[in-house]
Amino acid sequence: MAAGVRKMKIGGSWKSYAVLAGAALLFAFPGYWLTSSAVKTQDRIFANPPEVLPWPVAWSNFADVYAETRIVRAFFNTVLIAGCQVALTLLVCSMAGLAFARYRDAPGHKWLFALTLGTMMIPVAVTTIPVFIMLSQFGLINTYWGMILPGAANAFGVFWMRQYISQNVPRALYDAAEIDGAGHLTTYWCVVLPVIRPAMAALGVLVLINSWNNLMWAFIVLRTPDMQTMPLLIYMLQGEQGTPYGQVMAAGLLAAAPLVCAFLLFQRAFIGGVTAGAVKG
Amino acid sequence: MNPPDAAVSATSNPANKGQHGRRLRQRCVANRWFYFLLAPFFLLFFIFGLYPLLFSLYLSFLRWDALSPATWVGLSNFAALAQDELFFVSLKNTLLLGLYHIPPMMLLAFVFAVLLDRQCLKLKGLWRAAVFFPAITPMVVIAIVFSLLFGAELGLVNYLWWRAAAVVGVEAGVLPWLQSESWSKVTVSLLLVWRWTGYNMVIMLAGLQGIDRSLYEAAEVDGATRLQRLTQVTMPLMRPTFLFVFVMSMIGTVYMFDEVFVLTKGGPGVSSTNVGLFLFDEGFGAFRFGYASAAGYSVAAGLFLATLLVLKMGRKDHTA
Repeated sequence: MAAGVRKMKIGGSWKSYAVLAGAALLFAFPGYWLTSSAVKTQDRIFANPPEVLPWPVAWSNFADVYAETRIVRAFFNTVLIAGCQVALTLLVCSMAGLAFARYRDAPGHKWLFALTLGTMMIPVAVTTIPVFIMLSQFGLINTYWGMILPGAANAFGVFWMRQYISQNVPRALYDAAEIDGAGHLTTYWCVVLPVIRPAMAALGVLVLINSWNNLMWAFIVLRTPDMQTMPLLIYMLQGEQGTPYGQVMAAGLLAAAPLVCAFLLFQRAFIGGVTAGAVKG
Repeated sequence: MNPPDAAVSATSNPANKGQHGRRLRQRCVANRWFYFLLAPFFLLFFIFGLYPLLFSLYLSFLRWDALSPATWVGLSNFAALAQDELFFVSLKNTLLLGLYHIPPMMLLAFVFAVLLDRQCLKLKGLWRAAVFFPAITPMVVIAIVFSLLFGAELGLVNYLWWRAAAVVGVEAGVLPWLQSESWSKVTVSLLLVWRWTGYNMVIMLAGLQGIDRSLYEAAEVDGATRLQRLTQVTMPLMRPTFLFVFVMSMIGTVYMFDEVFVLTKGGPGVSSTNVGLFLFDEGFGAFRFGYASAAGYSVAAGLFLATLLVLKMGRKDHTA
């Protein structure tokens, strides 16, 4: 009894744990169903009664999806596109953020910053069609650049970087760097970037999630199987005459796994990426 | 420091004009790195942000399918939109989807956030991870998993429903989660709750952690029960966070695409076609670029006004 009372004090009531455990099970269940379906053959996916424990494990879905689609290429495409978009966005946003944070009395500072803030409200749905038309005219349809460039001008990222740099890089640091003979670009690269690493990680995660999972833009821009990203490949696997659900689940597991693993390893950066926007904005 | 309106005072005093012009140029040169550092962002922003925004406005006055030459049609796209039954159905569906999923999602997110905010809670990372991870999984994958789970004859959900009914001793048929026009919105809403609860829980958790703990202690000293502390201290202070989550969810429901595109394709019929899918279908299904742009602009303008209204109402209540 005494032990029970002590437990309640340090751990909260058992009711909270029951609620949380129930919620965790419910929310994790689709992930479990994806994983277990990936190792069932097609007829076992539709078994009646449903097969909750996938035993014996069947690896044939992975072999089939490897044989019948260009999944390795699609995985590589996804990594390349997401990686480039993250790198480009971080570079462009941190440079612009530093510009707005450091050179306060530059002519035009005020209205350029107002313009940047205003663009945060432009909905993507309004610019999709013109950007698509432009990409067609530039010959960027079905290219990596067509996937990478349009999202890279991230006004929110600029705003966020400016806030973070203003709050975390004291003006004395710029002066010290200047006295030491460091140029403005050297100061950006060697002084500012190391200080703003946490904000860069969080913004990077945010861009990564959106880029990695993006279906709509891939659907619009990418045309041939060798250019497909994982979400598009999975979408295209669905057929008019029946879908090979086993293959879909296997590919889906491979598409979801990298981000879920990264999330479990770097939970703090992921959560930071989500909340920073809400808290700062 | 120079006054920001130096250029204005220069024109008002012609005698100093040359001097001020020179000083402005000097300031530009002294701050040249400002422009160099901004250049990459603004280059991309003009090409992929500002220009498309204006181009889209121009497109909304055209009839154009990208193949035949465009014709100027004035406001007739907007007039046609006002007569378009499908557009109004998509508006109604969007509203219903929002009504179905935002209140339960916000309630769940708040409850989980309050539970996770307890300092004494064990395994915090595990609970948070389990509820949050839907926000990072590819929507297309999970939408297909949902279509399996909620399948009519052989889905797990209907199987459990049937078993549960059998235990109670009732003869239950299958529930038409994805086959009926009135159920499809419910199923999409369940997917949305699953997807966004953890994300908003994390935002609310950040809001809760911003509350000064001494306020709780003061309330406790005054003899407030735990429930009273929640409703009298926590919830009023959380109002800005609730407002933020509500507005973002509202905007998200209007422009949502993957969920309906994969899970229901907007159907059956057009019963789960939201505004986002309507815009996509008009643009990239029917290739009516002009019409889709007019619709996109109308929706963006309406949503902008709705957002302002919600924010204003939310703030007014707060001060009253």
